[in-house]
Amino acid sequence: MQQPEQVDTFAHSGEVGLVEWHDYESSRPFTFQNGDTIPGFRLRYETYGKLNAEGSNAILVCHALSGDHHCAGVHSIRDRKPGWWNNMIGPGKPIDTNRFFVICSNCLGGCQGSTGPTSINPETNRPYHLDFPVVTIGDMVRAQHRLVTEELGVQEMYAVVGGSMGGMQVLEWGVRYPEFVRRLLPMATTARQNAQAIAFNEVGRLAIVQDPNWHDGAYPPGQGPHVGLAVARMMAHITYLSDQGLDQKFGRERISRAAARTLFDAEFQVESYLRYQGQSFTNRFDANTYLYFTKALDRFDLYGESGRLEETFEAIRARTLVVGFTSDWLFPPKQNREIALALLRAGKNAGYAEVDLPLGHDSFLVHAPELYDLVERFLI
Amino acid sequence: MPPRQQIKRETEQSILSDWIEPRQRVLDVGCGRGLLLEHLNQTKEIYGVGVDNDLAKVAGCVKRGVNVYQGDAEGFLKSQPKDAFDWVVMSRTVQELDQPGRVIDECLRVARRMAIGFANFGYWRNRMDALVYSRHRVSEVFPRAWEYDWRHNQISVEEFERFCIRAGYPIHERVYLRGDWRTPCHVLPGWRAGYALYWLERG
Repeated sequence: MQQPEQVDTFAHSGEVGLVEWHDYESSRPFTFQNGDTIPGFRLRYETYGKLNAEGSNAILVCHALSGDHHCAGVHSIRDRKPGWWNNMIGPGKPIDTNRFFVICSNCLGGCQGSTGPTSINPETNRPYHLDFPVVTIGDMVRAQHRLVTEELGVQEMYAVVGGSMGGMQVLEWGVRYPEFVRRLLPMATTARQNAQAIAFNEVGRLAIVQDPNWHDGAYPPGQGPHVGLAVARMMAHITYLSDQGLDQKFGRERISRAAARTLFDAEFQVESYLRYQGQSFTNRFDANTYLYFTKALDRFDLYGESGRLEETFEAIRARTLVVGFTSDWLFPPKQNREIALALLRAGKNAGYAEVDLPLGHDSFLVHAPELYDLVERFLI
Repeated sequence: MPPRQQIKRETEQSILSDWIEPRQRVLDVGCGRGLLLEHLNQTKEIYGVGVDNDLAKVAGCVKRGVNVYQGDAEGFLKSQPKDAFDWVVMSRTVQELDQPGRVIDECLRVARRMAIGFANFGYWRNRMDALVYSRHRVSEVFPRAWEYDWRHNQISVEEFERFCIRAGYPIHERVYLRGDWRTPCHVLPGWRAGYALYWLERG
């Protein structure tokens, strides 16, 4: 096992400081839910804090669709931005690395170090591309279960925490490994997406597959449907924000009146912001992974064949706190509430709290003292 | 927490502890910071769920390990099947509700028994203030004057008991407490009770 390393010299008070990622290689075959098997897989992950002797103080952080394993600290002192949940994780922060051993792993099917469509298929010595098996939220969780039990020595999970797609994984953990997980903290999530969320994903996927550079998924590394992926990202990004959030940030502010010579130049700040979001996304994210992950989101459905969520939740043993955000219109409060209500109908220990922030779906990522307070209290 | 407030809470808490059996399922509508449910969890090992629509209060419940749902009472009750709980407790909440009668109906659908407690608006000091000064009395229970505070239904003992008869909900037990909310009161409760607590049955 690779020991998690942290260089304390650069850590200032309250920050995890310099961190490194690690790669876990599982050399046993992995069979996906659809029946397809790969001979092994790699997951890229980071850890902060120390696992106690009983192996019982681990908290797994599950990332969202476009997130990754780097959720706190910096990789180099020159990094412009810390990990994506740095405000939540660190010494003395709501997810306190003085108390907890925090794990954040990349997802199976991903493109940021874990095995996915861009990885080499050992049977053909060529990238998998679309031969990569269709991945589900359940597959992601089962792969991470191997990481935490076989590699990291976790005996029981103190908590599993995550928002959006991460929240789906949190629920999946509770259902799939009830004896292993003590607390579940899903936020801004859903037990199944509504038609609207599926519709947005479909537009994103079509933008990618209609891009002539997609080549049925068999594009060379560094190339590919950049235009389609950027458009998909731009549109999805809008669904993560809100009317009020966009208005506060950009309003109708213009870059410069003179700069917009044609109808097609970016004229308003919001346009330029979205273009930048789309473009920078193509540098770090793989289009095929985007197709795979959005499908995994669309197919995730804990209501099951009976259509009764409480039947699925019968299995759960963990205490659960669901957090919804008033302005989230992608996975609206109602869908978060339904999770808590079904848990309570099933006689489980559960709660629902709603945080009123104006920033839409991404509210769980922003500076939010009320959310910190809830997380801290729940993890007591 | 001022000690007088604590005393007020304690008497009601101990009465409810007598009524509620160990390991019963208890729903607390308007549960605040979850103090009652925490107490019942510890002393009676109940399965408790609280409902409150205030995030700060909900956070208090989360800290105490009390199951809590942030939202409106009626919405939550409607989501629950018949007899989901053994008890519904509603302490100092009924005056806040938009349609208390409808909510009480829902409470007695999801549970066979209900404990409901409220400050008696017919308490003589309130009547005096209304009669002599034509005003709502500002007191420990309602510390803010009318211009700062929307007081929904202020209920009196007589009014509530007439409602129970009309709605067909038998009162299994009733406890009247004096203005200090701890001394029992037997004579002229409509005038002398500061607080009233009822055990209602579905009927």
